[in-house]
Formats: sequence, structure tokens, C-alpha cells
Amino acid sequence: MGDLIQEKSTSCEIDTAADCRVSHDIGKQSGIELRTASTQTIMEKLSILTDAAKYDVACTSSGVDRKGNGRDMGNCVSAGICHSFSADGRCISLLKILMSNECVYDCKYCVNRRSNDVPRATFTPDEICELTMNFYRRNYIEGLFLSSGIINNPSYTMELIYKTLYKLRNVYRFRGYVHVKGIPGTDPVLIQQIGYLTDRMSVNLELPTAEGLEKLAPNKHRKTILTPMRQIQNGIAQGKQELALYRSAPSFVPAGQSTQMIIGATPESDYQIMSVAEGLYDKFGMKRVFYSAYVGVNEDKALPSVQAASPLLREHRLYQADWLLRFYQFRVDELLNEKHQNFNVLLDPKCDWALQHLEQFPVEINRADYQMLLRVPGIGVKSAQRICKARKSGALNFDNLKKIGVVLKRALYFITCNGKMMYHTRIEEDYITRNLLAEHEKLPFDKDGMTYRQLSLFDDAQENVDLFGKIS
Amino acid sequence: MEEYVLICEDSTEGILTGVYEAYQFKKKRGIDSHDCIHLATREPDTQRLFTEYNNIPTDYEKAEKVTNTMIRQLGNETWYRLSMAMVSSLDEKADAVYHTIVLGLKLQDRHITDRLQEDCVQRAFQCARASDNELCHLKQFLRFSELQNGMLYAKIDAKHHILPFLMPHFADRLPADNFVIYDENTQMFGLHARFQKWYLMQGADFDEEKLVYSEVEEVYQKLFRQFCDSIAIEARINPKLQMNMLPLRFRPNMTEFQE
Repeated sequence: MGDLIQEKSTSCEIDTAADCRVSHDIGKQSGIELRTASTQTIMEKLSILTDAAKYDVACTSSGVDRKGNGRDMGNCVSAGICHSFSADGRCISLLKILMSNECVYDCKYCVNRRSNDVPRATFTPDEICELTMNFYRRNYIEGLFLSSGIINNPSYTMELIYKTLYKLRNVYRFRGYVHVKGIPGTDPVLIQQIGYLTDRMSVNLELPTAEGLEKLAPNKHRKTILTPMRQIQNGIAQGKQELALYRSAPSFVPAGQSTQMIIGATPESDYQIMSVAEGLYDKFGMKRVFYSAYVGVNEDKALPSVQAASPLLREHRLYQADWLLRFYQFRVDELLNEKHQNFNVLLDPKCDWALQHLEQFPVEINRADYQMLLRVPGIGVKSAQRICKARKSGALNFDNLKKIGVVLKRALYFITCNGKMMYHTRIEEDYITRNLLAEHEKLPFDKDGMTYRQLSLFDDAQENVDLFGKIS
Repeated sequence: MEEYVLICEDSTEGILTGVYEAYQFKKKRGIDSHDCIHLATREPDTQRLFTEYNNIPTDYEKAEKVTNTMIRQLGNETWYRLSMAMVSSLDEKADAVYHTIVLGLKLQDRHITDRLQEDCVQRAFQCARASDNELCHLKQFLRFSELQNGMLYAKIDAKHHILPFLMPHFADRLPADNFVIYDENTQMFGLHARFQKWYLMQGADFDEEKLVYSEVEEVYQKLFRQFCDSIAIEARINPKLQMNMLPLRFRPNMTEFQE
């Protein structure tokens, strides 16, 4: 299937001015020299293709547990592992690179669009495999995140990606985490084949609505984006069924699929965005939806100005609400509605909800069900679980709660222990709002930075602390 | 009421011997309650009045007896959590673990570590959480470098003695590699030979200066530094957030922050 690819990789064996010559023997059998065509060194390629990949948000390695097999390198931990944090405070979990930043598309917001004059580079499959294996072995990364600009057409590009993954899994025998971008418009057979080699696949929704997409990404269409999403979803469901029947059936995208959308480049409201996200969780079985505050890289009359600040607070609120949907059993309609289309700038969505529903409070800690405990500001998933386990053997008091990890300065307005409130506080919206605002909310950025830590239930104590109070 | 403090060695076996001896001590002296007996891993800075101090020599057989009883009666999960507590560097760990065991055996509760309203369980939970956090951090931030003979070497400086918990993680991940993890703090080595079981070693003569790194090592280190540099988005630079996520104390041993 790949005469063209063969040609490409042979052309890369001419060694010119490669001061960064890397050789390493995989499993100590075959020596592979990494040399590059033209005057580009591996170092230059890596910096161009990392730089081109950095705006992609998802860098998580979670969702799949795979023990080592005692022979080949690599395993996966379902909570995911972040290996470093870059200067912007975002997690570095995977070797996040593009296969190539050549692109035939001209999406207005994208730094790699065809009409931009930027240095271009393309990795060979071997270069990617070598980098992944060597980085992984040194515990720099948890695996590979491979995406690409579009060379010739989507199927051609995905075939290159398939070749790389095939090599990584079967020649280099890598068992670590792999996340691949699915390019809309690819031949479904290729998507299916890649699904058996990767742990997670994601197809970018790009923009929350079809109108936005039409305006900013003229080569992409909502329908071609949703088709592979549906295919992956069905593949996962079918794979699970096969696994139940035959234990050795190959697993298809075992860590599930995710997607991302850019916010702030088009005029959607938070309500619209969250409704789209909820739809994706409900109807497409998404594991994660990522929100990416628009960062201006291109001058274009269809886009906000390059100088405009990224809407980081807005993005933060969307992530908070996303957590409420996934782990706190909230529905979008409870948080926002037609009249109330955007999140409160001053309060996090959970506090905001509680203040609008004071009739449901105070909650008795020793009796309330788990679902209700989750809705109390200052109580996170872990503390709610600890409360439920601990109270089986005896009543809890405020001191116990504090030690369990409940943020009492927020929770105290909403709870009772053994029928008593902590202080004489009134259940009154204005009064509680005033007090909550006096406790300045801890945001993960000052004015100009923002986090995307690995978001998962178990590994992100810090994230949860920032979002919902200390839990662990 | 007179109090008794048993001082044991600061190691898992030392603490477990202490637990065994505490039961014996209570029986022999006819003491009413375990509440009057305390375990400590070092001499207190100032001795208290009406308190008797006894040193307990470590005995591996006794420690094993306690281990077996715990696993049989309280289950593996409890055993794991209390082990995590015992490797922490917090002072009260021995006493907290001891009283948690006493309470667990008394109530015959395999979920004893869930009873966070009990003071001793609460304290043991805090110790276990401290070592667990460090374990997670080191799984993230440990960095190997390749030596000339192809062996991987990593240096850590762990506050809590979590090396025995760290080794299985890397042994599972890198079965075909020879690797060494050196804990500077405890001067302990974790060794893993290709396709073999890992083990711990203490007291070896070691000079890091003498290590010779492989030819490609420097190249990959540079590549990774370049990668970390390029991946950051300029419009979002946020050193405070980076510091929250990646505390400064880990950085001296991390490739991307060296040079």
C-alpha cells in the first residue's frame, strides 16, 4: 500500500551535515542510523514539529491499564502519568509531535495552514520510533501523541501514521501509550487498522458549531468530522463485545476517544459549548472533551485580533463545568439555560449552582446520599467517598471532616454535622455569596497562564484542589 | 497513669517488631490498655515524666509473625496502606500504625483504614498519604541516563523511603533493561538485571563522578530539553503554575532542568 512512502524514506538516507546523528540498537539486534535528508537535523525537525503540535491540548496518558509482559518495553497506568511540566505549566506526558507540518488545508486559526510561511519538516517513521523508544526508556515520557498536517490527502497522511505505529508496535515492540489524531475524510479501513495499534484516538471537533467551522475551516465539514467519531465509537463498542467473547481479541482504542474545540474564536455562548460537550459525552461516548482558549497566531479578518488576550478564565470555567458533568453527576441544564447563557465570572459553577438552590441545603453529612454530598461546595469526589466509607462505623464531626480533606471554609455554609451547623450562619444567598467572595478563589493563573494538567479522577489532587477544594 | 514508650528501629521490620513487643509487654506487665503504650522510632528530644522508655532490637522473625497476622486478619489492602505509612518520614508513624493494628484486630475490621474518625487511623492515613504522594511524584519525575555499558542509572532524593515501592513500577516497564536507582537520602540502591527480579542493596561504595555515560546520552538529553522548550506556548507562560505542579526540590535530578 505504500510505494510512495518507501520512496520517501529511502530519500532520507543521504547523510548531510547531520551533527545530531543518533544511533541506537533496538533490543540489541539491528542498528538503525537516524540520518536526515536535506540540511535538517533531528534537532531542527523536533523543534519545528513540536512547535507545530503545541496548540493541541490533550496530553493525557490515562484510560488504560496494561501491565508489562516481562519481555517488551512499556506498560500503561490507567490514571496516567505526567512526566514534566513546561514553562506554561501544562503537563508533558506524551511525546507530542506532528508527523509533518506540511498541510494542504487552509484553516484560518491554524499556524500550519498552507498560506503561512513557516519552516516545514517531516519525520520518517524510524525517527519517530527511535525518539519514542529512547525518551520512554529514560522515563521522559509516557508514550507518543502523533498528529499530522495533511500531506496530499487525509488517507495518504493516515497511511503514513499507520506505517509508523505498525513499526513502533511490531518492530520496536513498544507497549506504552499511544494517542493518534484521526483525520476526517480518511478511508474507514485505515481508521479501523490504526484503532488496533493505538490506545486513544481523537478527532478534533475544532469549533463548537457547524457555522463556525464553515467560516474558519473552509476545507473541513461537520459531517466528515462526525463520521470517524461514530466509527470509532462503534468500533470500541464492538471491540468490548469481542473481548467478552474471546479474551485474546485485539483491543480497539482501549483508552477511548476524545476531542477538542477552540473557544473564543467564534461567538458561541458557554451554554452552547457545554450542550455540545454534553451531546458528545452522551451520544458519542467520549472519554474527554478538551477546550482550548483561542491563542491568536494568524492575522485574519475572520479572527479575533492577535493581540486579544486568550479567554483563560472562560476556559477554566468550562473545564470546571466539564468536571461537574463527568464526575459530579450534573447536567448542563442545571448549570446554564437560555436566559442564563454564560458562567458566573466570580464564582465557580458548583458554588453558583448551590447558591441558586439554597432550598436543598443544609445537607446532613452523616445521612445525605453520595450524590448530594458531591453537590456541596468544598467537598470533592475523594472526600465524598471517604465520608461515605467512614460514617459506616460512626458519626463524623467537623474536625473529622477537616482532616478528611473537606474545605470547611466553603462547605460550612451548606452542611450540618449531627444536626448542627459549624457556626451561626444564615442560609441566605447574599450573605453566603459575600462570604464566599471574601475567600478569594484560587485560580491556576495570574493573568496570563493556565493549566491543563492531566485531568482524571485519581491523579490530579492538585487540579481538584484548585477546582473544588482540597481532597487529598 | 504511667506511660510506656518502646523505641524501635526506623524501618518496616523495626516497627513491626515494636508492635509484637508491645503486645508482649502489655501481657507481661499486666497493663490495662494499649493506650498507655506508645511506639517511637527515635529517642525523644526531651523525656517526659512518669514515662518508661525501652529500646527494642529488631527481630525479623517477630516482624514476619506480625505481617502474617495482619495479612490474614486485616487483608492485603490494609497491609499495603500501613506499609506505605511505615516508610514515611513522619515521626508519629510507628505509634499510628501500632494503634491502627490494635484497633483493627480488636474490631476484626478489614476496612479499618476507612475509619477516619479514629485518631490513630487518621494519623496513619496522613503518613501513608505523604509517602504515596512522593511515590507518585517520583514515578513522574525520575530520569534515567544511559551508561556506556547500556545500563540505565537514576538518582533520586526521596524524603520518604519509597524506593521498594518504586522498583516494581520500573521493573514492569523496563524488563529488558539493566537499571539502578540510587536514593541519595537513604544511600540505598535498587537494582534490576535484565529479565530478573529486582532487589535492594545498601552500603555499597559509590562515586557518581566515575560514571561514564554512553555516546548518545548527551544527544537525547539535548533533544528532550529542546522538546520541553518548544512545547510551551509563549502566550501562556506561567512559572508559578509550573512550580505548583513540579516542585523545585525534584529539579536538580531532572534532565530538562540541568545545564
